[in-house]
Amino acid sequence: MDAAVAFSALVGLVTTPYIVFLMLVGVLVGIFMGIAPGVGGKLGLVLLIPFVYGMDPLAGAVFLLSMHAVVHTAGAVTSILLGVPGEGATAATVLDGYAMTKRGEAGRALGASFGASLAGSTSGAIVLGASLGLLEPIILNFHPSEFFLLSLLGITFIATLSGKSVVKGLSVGFFGLMVSFIGQDPSTGIARFTGGHLFLLDGVDIITAILAMFAIPEMISLGVERQALASGVAQRQRIDYRQVIQGLGDVVTHRWLVLRVSLLVAAIGIIPGLGGDAASWMAYGHTVQSSKNPETFGTGRVEGVIGAETGTCAKEGGSLIPTLFFGVPGSSGMAIMLGAFLMLGLQPGPQMLTEHLDVVWALIWSLALANLLCVGILLVAAPWITNIAYIKTSLMVPIVLVFAILGSYIGQGHWENLILIFFMGGFGYFLKRHDWPRAPFVIGVILGKIAEDALLKALAIDGYWFFMKPISLILIAMIIGSIGFWFYKMRTGKVEIAHG
Amino acid sequence: MNRFLTMVAGAAMALVVAGPASAAADANYYKGKTITYIVATGPGGGYDTYGRLIARFMQKQLPGSRILVRNVPGAGHIIGANTIYAARPDGLTIGMFNTGLIYNQLMSLPGVKFDLTKMSWIGKASNEIRVVVVSTKSGYKTIDDMLKAKGPVRFAAAGVGSAAYLDTRILDFMLPIDIQTVSGFDGAEGELSMMRGEVVAQVGIASSFEQFVRNKNGFYALAMSPAAHAILPNVPQADAYVHDEKSRKLLTLLEALSDLGRLTSGPPGIPADVLAVLREAHLKAVQDPALLVEAKKLAIPIDFGTADFVTRRIKEALNQTPETIALLKQAAAAQ
Repeated sequence: MDAAVAFSALVGLVTTPYIVFLMLVGVLVGIFMGIAPGVGGKLGLVLLIPFVYGMDPLAGAVFLLSMHAVVHTAGAVTSILLGVPGEGATAATVLDGYAMTKRGEAGRALGASFGASLAGSTSGAIVLGASLGLLEPIILNFHPSEFFLLSLLGITFIATLSGKSVVKGLSVGFFGLMVSFIGQDPSTGIARFTGGHLFLLDGVDIITAILAMFAIPEMISLGVERQALASGVAQRQRIDYRQVIQGLGDVVTHRWLVLRVSLLVAAIGIIPGLGGDAASWMAYGHTVQSSKNPETFGTGRVEGVIGAETGTCAKEGGSLIPTLFFGVPGSSGMAIMLGAFLMLGLQPGPQMLTEHLDVVWALIWSLALANLLCVGILLVAAPWITNIAYIKTSLMVPIVLVFAILGSYIGQGHWENLILIFFMGGFGYFLKRHDWPRAPFVIGVILGKIAEDALLKALAIDGYWFFMKPISLILIAMIIGSIGFWFYKMRTGKVEIAHG
Repeated sequence: MNRFLTMVAGAAMALVVAGPASAAADANYYKGKTITYIVATGPGGGYDTYGRLIARFMQKQLPGSRILVRNVPGAGHIIGANTIYAARPDGLTIGMFNTGLIYNQLMSLPGVKFDLTKMSWIGKASNEIRVVVVSTKSGYKTIDDMLKAKGPVRFAAAGVGSAAYLDTRILDFMLPIDIQTVSGFDGAEGELSMMRGEVVAQVGIASSFEQFVRNKNGFYALAMSPAAHAILPNVPQADAYVHDEKSRKLLTLLEALSDLGRLTSGPPGIPADVLAVLREAHLKAVQDPALLVEAKKLAIPIDFGTADFVTRRIKEALNQTPETIALLKQAAAAQ
């Protein structure tokens, strides 16, 4: 019976021209929001809400959800072509995607990224739909103690992402963790390492940290080298579909990776409280760890792009669930969505599952369909978009710097972030220049805060023995396994240890 | 030429409408001007929803003006409030922040660069009735059950130093319940924590728990403002449980804060005539039937009040004896 409801919801969506039209508009707006620096899905939702006033509940919800669902998909464009991630979740795509662009494989990277987004969002939606009945116990059994261990598992990926030198990777990773401790101490309220600056009270802005680590150093070195991004690469064809198709083919080749990451991330996404940034980095971490040649990631491996993008898109559906079934939003974006649902007359709550299963399915499907539309549009446009990578350096560097600086300012509106991005960007360039890995820094900054917050809550709720619970013990076994596996690979010579 | 004619016609019309005695600014002051409405949180969430709604409907009352909403989040509304306070007092920068900052000013907490008694208050859109919401899973049926509890009772609260955290600490001070405050639950995280059975209750603003209570995940156990009678008639009042003199002083402060929700204000020194225009626009906006319909759909209550009321209540709330302030500090620190 469930299958019948699911199928009729899908048919209902695609056979109503009005809804398909709204979805298309939503997707186009979402593509714009994803590509424009610093705008993002949250602000997009806030700006669109006045327009849905008076719409039919389902149509309005599908419209907003379509917009929100494709922001990450489109965000990959700037990550891959310019090395400028639009938000924390797409930053993992930069590592290999941008490296591919520099090698002249921008089209392939875009193709792989779009294919992976589509595969991720579809399988994410399917996982979600298939597990509808199990969701409540899953959500209610993850406590701060489990969040802490999950984020700890993510932190172990620092070693995996260290590239050639573990010592360098760990140093940078721990420095990232230290930076994540800037801000208000969650247990005492005392300002830590803020130097009296109010803008640091909530911690270092993650977008600023990411732009400073990835976008700024690339632009400095481009400026210093004075070459076009993809220079040295044989003259391209003007419109090269072959590369894009090759990228799509890569997704098929790596289908098992796509499946594993989708399952992993859809599960993480359902649990409210961990956040999308963490999910996509854990997806990337898993991709690298499960590879035979982890040290080659970051040099333009197509699997890196596929893993990161699948992860980013597979988690989208997850955060919808607590919002719909409990009326309790799973993320800040979903908090806005909850307001919109109420305004449209959709009453989230447990009765959604019993009385409005058709609406639930329509929303799940619209996540996948919106991505299908978005990927279709972007794939057609990809060969043209690729040309951005061949813009002259003298033109490219200032444009990207403006993008990056806008991105760090718009998010919070604090001018102090402009000074921060300058200094951290200098640090990022230093790391790049001397061949130190930069991804561990971002992992440290993102996960350090989550881990600390969850640890303090776990201690307050369960005391010192908070980890003596079944799920916690499984997670601990995974952490030990992750470290042990890495040591094993190192011993067998697959990973080189520090050159000093 | 055209523009000149329009100006002359406009001036003539203004004279006819306002009469010869009035040289003061009127709604025309805002013609062609852009007002920045600062919301002291990021996009999404209660303050942003109220701020955007009020900005949109105030714009309707000020023909020819544009009101842009700017989110200035950070440091628990302090950065937003500082920004509004430091703006040029030309009536072109106004905004909204959490009234809990009254605590920060009373306790002279770091970062405060404003004096709420000096701000140009424009009006209020709602109240913030403090309530205790108890999880249905907790086993407690009433606040009296909780009072009989042996050992600590766990409450979820937002970050240390936030208004919601301080409200919880004050409750702990006032009632003979041993409240263990678990902090760091922002937004809806506290509700999830109650559903997961980690904490049993939370202190918060009545309207923000409407969904939670409607879905039978929790119930209102105690209200901390006489104003709650109107909307939550069957919920017991804190007044009946708080007896000693010190606690009653803190309760009075909580009640004052409950009256002051979703306030719009500008920096000190906005010229009286301009301020009058803003106040009138605000008052008309919060009574606009179209706004009320939207607010109802968004499930955000509107309970408006005039600028005079707000100014008076703010002064009263901030006029505390050193003894009460010491009590407040004691309540905040006790854990």
